[in-house]
Amino acid sequence: MTTEGGVQYSKIAEIKGPLVVVDDVENAAFDELVEVETKDGERRLGKVLEVGNGKAIVQVFEGTTGLSISGTNAKFVGKVMEMPVSKEVLGRVFDGLGRPKDGLPDPIADQFIDINGEPMNPEQREYPKDFIQTGVSVIDGLITLVRGQKLPIFSGSGMSHNLLAAQIARQASVVGTDDDFAVVFAAIGVQYSEAEYFRKSLEESGALKRSVLFLNTADDPAIERIITPRVALTVAEYLAFELGMHVLVILTDMTNYAEALREISAAREEVPGRKGYPGYLYTDLSTLYERAGKLNGKKGSVTQVPILSMPSDDITHPIPDLTGYITEGQIVVGRDLFRQGVYPPINILMSLSRLMKDGIGEGSTRDDHSEIANQVYDAYSRAQEVRALAGIVGKAGLTEIDLKYMDVGDVFEKEFLSQATDENRTIEETLAILWKIVSKLPRNEITKIKDKFVDQYYQGE
Amino acid sequence: MGRRVILANSSLEKTIDKILDQTEQDVLASLDGALSDSHQALDDSVTKLEDEYDKIVADGRKEADKLEKQIVGGSDIEARNKQLLAVEDAVSRVFTKAVEEISNSDRSGDYANLIKTLLDESTQVLGTSEVIVFTNSKDRDVVQSTLANFAGSELSSETIECIGGVKIQSKDGAMKFDNTIDAKIDRLKPLIRKEIASKFGVKE
Repeated sequence: MTTEGGVQYSKIAEIKGPLVVVDDVENAAFDELVEVETKDGERRLGKVLEVGNGKAIVQVFEGTTGLSISGTNAKFVGKVMEMPVSKEVLGRVFDGLGRPKDGLPDPIADQFIDINGEPMNPEQREYPKDFIQTGVSVIDGLITLVRGQKLPIFSGSGMSHNLLAAQIARQASVVGTDDDFAVVFAAIGVQYSEAEYFRKSLEESGALKRSVLFLNTADDPAIERIITPRVALTVAEYLAFELGMHVLVILTDMTNYAEALREISAAREEVPGRKGYPGYLYTDLSTLYERAGKLNGKKGSVTQVPILSMPSDDITHPIPDLTGYITEGQIVVGRDLFRQGVYPPINILMSLSRLMKDGIGEGSTRDDHSEIANQVYDAYSRAQEVRALAGIVGKAGLTEIDLKYMDVGDVFEKEFLSQATDENRTIEETLAILWKIVSKLPRNEITKIKDKFVDQYYQGE
Repeated sequence: MGRRVILANSSLEKTIDKILDQTEQDVLASLDGALSDSHQALDDSVTKLEDEYDKIVADGRKEADKLEKQIVGGSDIEARNKQLLAVEDAVSRVFTKAVEEISNSDRSGDYANLIKTLLDESTQVLGTSEVIVFTNSKDRDVVQSTLANFAGSELSSETIECIGGVKIQSKDGAMKFDNTIDAKIDRLKPLIRKEIASKFGVKE
């Protein structure tokens, strides 16, 4: 942390959207923190986006409403934006810029860390292979989350992704180790009621003690949303790599982040890319998502579950599309299941955890996990085909085995997929339900599981 | 006639006995069946009961764990928050006292050197000594005498509210730099807070 002061400039050339152009600026640096002071003495934070020819373009996080060219001063602080961190941040609630929102004083900082983070040395990255139990059967059983992974949830407006996010935050744990576990939860542009739900949910479950909350509500300036995931990830990196904790970072809703990025891009008059998002959306998202991982020689890990709502449920929209390129799989929330009242309404056929295979099996979950998961995927896929067929020929036209698959589909949705919001299932319970589903099929239909496991766990016939 | 009646009675009795035997056997067989069925049902229900019992115990344990986490987590947070507020209160009192002592400190001796250092820093940051200098009424004399070392600088007739130090402004008014002791304390406060808190036994 620098303790030098900064020069204050009073020549404001232009105010455009969330940007302020300051004239006659010397020695400003890219990303430098700026304190913008209004005529009334109110202070707002911003950062330098561009410098050159004696001008500096400053992005004001709290918005430029109420600022005027005369009487506004911009103080270039001489440092980038930093987040004060210490173990004390656990159990605290901050706003989108990392300022306390719980009525308590600033945490007494152990370090002040640049919110843009240090890029991880690719050579030092360790391949993620340890299981995280979320207590949500469909994730633990079929789309397993692994420590150090980045696994987004693709949802749509109005669906129950926030309930799921809160449930994961409350229940997530690492099993089979005494290592500390923490959750960093960043709510980006959420409604006030949702922010309150997240806070209360963690508080009442006792999970707040091991969590850090960053709440940027919908009525906060959109530009703050650019900072929220960065301060959250900075805290996560500190907890993981300095204090050796396993940290799960939940970022919801990344669509609001991308909207804020589009707003700045439009104000800067940049050439728009797809749907008006800036051409560097992919690069920008990667600077966030790539902050997940494990490092050689470090005990902790940062796991990310970014949540984004797809406009019009369109998975080809630039935000899910580009997110999918960077992350290691996706969990897709299905509209049809949501309409049927299923919670969590996860469409497993469109979902995938690319690192699952390395995080499950003997020593992590159970040796039959991979095969039973494959068999259930196969059976549910077949059940969907049979349902489609029944829609054409009617149930009477189905064979006996088709009817069994249809039954498997129903049991899967009712007993495995459906789960109460406060129901925390262990991996053993999850695997037991998977075997119950498979046991609805005749033994000769079980082709993806070794005989020894079938002999041990199959309950049919 | 009498003999015929006797014979008929005897065959009737035999038939009745036969029926009674048959019925008895049926009843006994059915009782046996019922007994074994009830034994079977009892055996089955014992397993079910044990499973149910295990489930109730497991659910109860889960619920107890959940409640324990809620209660322990909540009270830990509450205790920690009270500690934070107590430390912050103590830190604030230390700051107030320190500021009070600085503002009442003697302006003679090394203080002139401090002002010179502050002016040096400020003019370097602005990149010019063509500046207007602002200070409080207490420091005016010290600042005025030091300004002789800074060609082109002048002391403003206006005074500012601060503990000490200077605030400078380029002559065109476009650039300002606050190098008052208040501003220095503000900048150093997060670092000093940690030091003070550690004196109160708060570990990192």
